Amino acid sequence: MSPATSATSPFTVHTLKNGLSVVIEEMPDVCSVAAGFLCRTGARDETPPLAGVSHFLEHMMFKGTSRRTWAQITIDFDSMGSAYNAFTSEDRTIYYGWVRTKDLEPQIELLADMMRSAIPLDEFTTEKNVILEEIAMSKDNLDHVAFDFLQEKVFAGHPLAWPILGYDSTVQSLTRDQMWDYFQQRYAPNNMLLVVAGALKPEQVIEVAERYCGSWPRVTDPPKRVPPKVARGVDVLKLDRFNQQVIALTFPSVSACDSRIEVVSAAATILGGENSRMYWDIVQKGIAPRAGAHHLDFTDSGVLILYGSCDPTNAELLLDALRKEARRLTDEPPRDAEVDRVKNRRRTSVAVEAEAPYYRLTQLMDDMEFHGRPRTVDEALAEVDAVTSDSIVKFLREFPIDGEGHLTSVGPRDWPKL
Amino acid sequence: MTRSLSEKIDHNTLACGVEYGVVELPKRHVAAFQIRILAGTCNEPEHLPGLARLVEDTLDKGTERHTGRELSDAFDVIGAGRNSGAGRETAAFTCTVLPEHFERALELHAELLCQPTFPDDVVKVNLDLTRQELKALEDEPQALLDKLMAPKALGPILGRHPLGDRSGIDRITTGDLRQFWKSHYSSGRMIVSVAGPMNESRVAAALNRCFEGFGPSKRETNGLPPAVFTPGVNHHSKDLAQEHIAVCWPGVDATHDDFPIQQVILGVLAGGMSGRLFTEVREKQGLVYWVSAWQETPRGFGLLYMGASTTPERCKKTYDTLLREVNRLSDDLTESELERAKTGIIAGWETRGDATRARCSELASDLYFFGRPMPMSERVSRIQRVTRDDVSRYLRTYRRDQLCVMTLGPRALTEGSNSTSDARTKEAIRQ
Repeated sequence: MSPATSATSPFTVHTLKNGLSVVIEEMPDVCSVAAGFLCRTGARDETPPLAGVSHFLEHMMFKGTSRRTWAQITIDFDSMGSAYNAFTSEDRTIYYGWVRTKDLEPQIELLADMMRSAIPLDEFTTEKNVILEEIAMSKDNLDHVAFDFLQEKVFAGHPLAWPILGYDSTVQSLTRDQMWDYFQQRYAPNNMLLVVAGALKPEQVIEVAERYCGSWPRVTDPPKRVPPKVARGVDVLKLDRFNQQVIALTFPSVSACDSRIEVVSAAATILGGENSRMYWDIVQKGIAPRAGAHHLDFTDSGVLILYGSCDPTNAELLLDALRKEARRLTDEPPRDAEVDRVKNRRRTSVAVEAEAPYYRLTQLMDDMEFHGRPRTVDEALAEVDAVTSDSIVKFLREFPIDGEGHLTSVGPRDWPKL
Repeated sequence: MTRSLSEKIDHNTLACGVEYGVVELPKRHVAAFQIRILAGTCNEPEHLPGLARLVEDTLDKGTERHTGRELSDAFDVIGAGRNSGAGRETAAFTCTVLPEHFERALELHAELLCQPTFPDDVVKVNLDLTRQELKALEDEPQALLDKLMAPKALGPILGRHPLGDRSGIDRITTGDLRQFWKSHYSSGRMIVSVAGPMNESRVAAALNRCFEGFGPSKRETNGLPPAVFTPGVNHHSKDLAQEHIAVCWPGVDATHDDFPIQQVILGVLAGGMSGRLFTEVREKQGLVYWVSAWQETPRGFGLLYMGASTTPERCKKTYDTLLREVNRLSDDLTESELERAKTGIIAGWETRGDATRARCSELASDLYFFGRPMPMSERVSRIQRVTRDDVSRYLRTYRRDQLCVMTLGPRALTEGSNSTSDARTKEAIRQ
C-alpha cells in the first residue's frame, strides 16, 4: 500500500499482483460509498467488423456469471438499494454502484463477479434485440445523429470514426464467440482500475479487492492505440425528417492528458459555456436557440468543436456567427475578468463534485487515466487557477480556430452545396 | 456513518410574507437554495400560453441596476451555479454557491425577481427563440410525446406546455410579461428552501433584507389546480425509427395517506433493473432499450405513467406487456420484491443526501406539498410501513380501467386511434 501524495492524503493507491490498480479515497463526512471498475476498452479498440462490440459487451456483463443469473445480478443490486449503471465510450467502459456505507463489500463483490461474465449464449441473442432498439432510438435523436456523423467524417479512417453503438449490420452479424475473444483480451486486471470513494477504511477495500479480484489472470498488455488525424473540409448529411439544422466546426486540439487541458477548457467555456460570448452574441441575438463549444478529448488526442442548432433558414447566419466568435477569441484575447469568471464557477463545481462519492468516483477515474494519479480538490483547483489570458492566447496560436477547420452540417437543408 | 434521522430543520414565515425552511448541514462546503414562486403555467391567462416561462426566462435579462450580461457577470464573480424554470404550478430558481457567497447570491436573485425591466428588444428575441424552440421540440420524440400527452392527462390548464403554442407566443407582448410579473411575483407567493452549513437566523436576516416590501406580504396559494383526466387512445403520426409509447392513469397526490404505497408500487414496477417492467419487457423479451414507470403529482392530483420506445412492429407486444405487468401486481407481488422496492427508495434518499443540492430539493418539495419539512425519520417510516396488503388494497381502490394512451411514431397502436374516446379503453388495466 502506498499513499498517493502525502501522509495526510485522502488517497490510497494499491496495485494487486495481477496488475489491477485499486484507487481509494476516504471521505469521512459522507454516509455513502461508490465503487466502480474502469476497463480501458471502447469503440476505438474494435476492428471494423466488430463495431459496437464494446458497448454490447457492457450490456452482457449484466447477463450472468458462473455464480449468478442475470436476474440474480439485478436482484442483488436492488436489494442493496444501489444506484448503479454502466456506460461505454470511445476509450473506456465503466461499471459502478453507489450504496450506503454498510453495503461496501457486497457492492464490490457483485461488481467483481460481473467482471467475470459468462456471456450466456441465450441472453446474447435476446440482448442483441435490445442493442438494435437502442440504435433505432439513437436514429430519432438529431444530436446523436449529428455527433456520430461528425466523428465519422472528422476521424475518417480511424476507429474513432464509428459509432459507439456500432451499426445494425455489425451488431446483427456479431457472434458470441467473437465477443468472448474480445472480452478475454480486454477485461484483464492489467487493463482495469477499481476505484472506491466514500466513508470507508482503505485496508478493508484492499482486502476485499484481493479476495474478489486477486485471482484474475493477467494477459499481454493490449496493443498501443494510434492517435487519429483530424480531417478538414465540409461534410453534409441531409435528413428531411428533422426540423433543425446542426452546424459544427471542428479544430485539432490537445489530449486530455496534456498540461494545457485546463487552458483549452477555459477557452471553450469563455467561447461557448454558460454566460459565454456565444450565448450573448448568438443565442441572445436570436440566431439560434442553442450554441456552444465542447472539447472532445481522449488520452492521445482531442478536438475543439463549436456547434449550434437552428432553424434551417438561419444556417448561414449561424455559421458566420460561429466563425466570427472563433476569430474574435483569437483577435481579442479574453479579458482577465472573463478568465476569472470561468475560474470562479469552476471553484463551485469542484466543491460540489467533492461532496458525494459518486461524483468523486468519476473524477478519480479521469485523474487516473489522464494524470496517472488521483488529485485532491486543491490540486485540481490549482491547475484551474494557473490559467491566464496569456496562456489562452498562446494556446490559440498553437491550435488556431480562426481557419476553416472541418464543417459538419446535418438537417433538412442540403447546405452548404459541395 | 448513516444519514441522521434527527437533523435540524427550521421552518418559518417572515413578516414580509416569505415562507422558508433551512436544513442545517454543518460539515458541507457548499450552500444550496431554491426559490419557488406561485407563477407556473397554470397561472397563465388562457389566451397567452407560454407566458410563465417567458417571464421566468426574461427576469435575468435586465434589471433596474444591471443589463442581463452584467447580472450574469455578477453571479460569476461569486461562482454561482444556477438554474431556473417554469413548471405547471410554480417557477423555481435554484442556486449553489460556496457558503461565504450565500448572501450575495440571494441579493442578486432578489434583484432579478424584484426589479426586472423586461427590455423590449430582449423580449422580442426571447419570443423569437421560443418559436424556434417549439420547432426544435419536434426533433425530440420524448419531449414531444410529453407535450402531446399532458393536455389529455392533466387537462387544458394544468397540461399546458411551458413553451406554449405558436399562436399564444405571437400574441404575447412586453406588457403581458410585466403584468404577469406584477400579479404573480411577490414575497407572499414565495417559498425558499436552503441547505448547507447555514443556520436559521442567518437565512432569515438575508431573506428579510432582500425581500421586505416585495409586493403583498399576505400568504397566498394557488388553490388546487384543475386537473382533468381524459381517457382514450391517441396517436400522433411522425416519421421516426421507433414508436414512442406513454400510458397513464390517475393515482393519488403527494399528501395522500396512500402516497407511500404508490411510491412502492412504482418501485416494484421500475425501481431498478430487477423491476418488473425492465425484467419482463427488456430482459426477457428484448423488446426495448428504454422502459420506465414514473408519477406526476401536482397538488391535489396524481398520475402514474409507464413509457417505452420500440420499433413499430414490436409496439403492440410491448404495450400488452406493460399492461399485463400492472395487472399482475395484485396477483403475485412477493415479499422480497416489496422489500427491494422499499430499500431502493430509502437507500436513494440516504446516498443522494450526501449532495447538498439534493437535500435542498427534498426540502423544497416538502414545503410546497406538505407545508412543512418532513423529517427523514418520518419519510423512512412512511415507506417502511407499506405491506403487501396495502398494495392489494391500493390496487383495488384506485381505478385503472380507464387509461390515457399516447403513441408517437409511424404506426397507430390500434384502430380507432387519433380520436380521444370517452369510452372505456379497450385494453384497460383490469380492476
